[in-house]
Amino acid sequence: MSARRSLLLALVFGAPFGVIAACSTPATDGRFVETVPDRATFEPVAKMLVDRCGTLDCHGTTFRNLRLYGSEGLRFEKDASPNLLPGYATTQAEIEQDYQSVVGLEPEIMSQVVSQRGAAPERLTLIRKGRGQEDHKGGSLMAVGDDRDTCLVSWLAGKTDTAACVRAAPLQNP
Amino acid sequence: MKRAALLVASASMALGALACDPVHSNEVDALGGEASGVGTGPTHRPGQPCLLCHDGKIGDPPQFNVAGTVFVTPYVIAPENGAGGAIVKMTDATGASHAATTNDVGNFYVTPNEWTPAYPITVEVDYGGVTTTMKSHIGRDGSCAGCHFNPAGPSSPGPVAVGWGDGGVP
Repeated sequence: MSARRSLLLALVFGAPFGVIAACSTPATDGRFVETVPDRATFEPVAKMLVDRCGTLDCHGTTFRNLRLYGSEGLRFEKDASPNLLPGYATTQAEIEQDYQSVVGLEPEIMSQVVSQRGAAPERLTLIRKGRGQEDHKGGSLMAVGDDRDTCLVSWLAGKTDTAACVRAAPLQNP
Repeated sequence: MKRAALLVASASMALGALACDPVHSNEVDALGGEASGVGTGPTHRPGQPCLLCHDGKIGDPPQFNVAGTVFVTPYVIAPENGAGGAIVKMTDATGASHAATTNDVGNFYVTPNEWTPAYPITVEVDYGGVTTTMKSHIGRDGSCAGCHFNPAGPSSPGPVAVGWGDGGVP
């Protein structure tokens, strides 16, 4: 069979399946209940994320899926009082928003990772991009096993290494 | 012959794509024209995001790696409010540092030949014997005005100014 004929057959018989797949929608009553990582121990993780990733020119902006509010950039409270401008302390409301932002990125995969006590965290885009294993405009910001990585991965595993998070933030250039 | 034609066509398409970036064009258009009596050069457009045009793309003005304007009084973008003679000290993630001095309108710029920082970078400004330190760091945007613009609010600390009086520039 010639290549041209094969292609034609594939188009003729494959196209209907493609159309069906493209036009199908999720069930309207479908619900996914996410298994989320611990909220109570998220604060030091949030502070690390805000410090490392949350500047106004990176994830401290409404233009990214991972939107981080906090001292380094975008502020949640719509109030221009001087102590709520970028540069001043992260608020509890912002930590809550950051938590929602992180757990909402890939809920199904997050559930798998959390259910398996943090196993293979690189299934999450958050981890792959942070480690520079996937194209990331901000480059590689953490390496497997360093303080930033340990902070994030330990939280996903349900045993947040607060000391690692504290060491990882604030940014201290040499 | 055929290959040459293909090369020319590819190059034309690439140039066309560069020239037809509507997002970039809209951002540049939004900056408006040059101020009356000020031509292009080191003192033009204080307070604007320099790297929007000075990005090294074909046909654009010279590339800058870091550039911006330091003002004296917060929230006032005007050439006469420029902090001339301020020294902007930048330190990158490797510990390498570079200093640039602002001109009469407060503008400064760093070209790739002078310094190419590894982000993130931290910044402090010396002006009139007082050092003010930027409270956060710069993640990747070399234009100060990419983040520092008016009005100050949840997504901007306002233009860079040395007159905050609290020891720090947001």
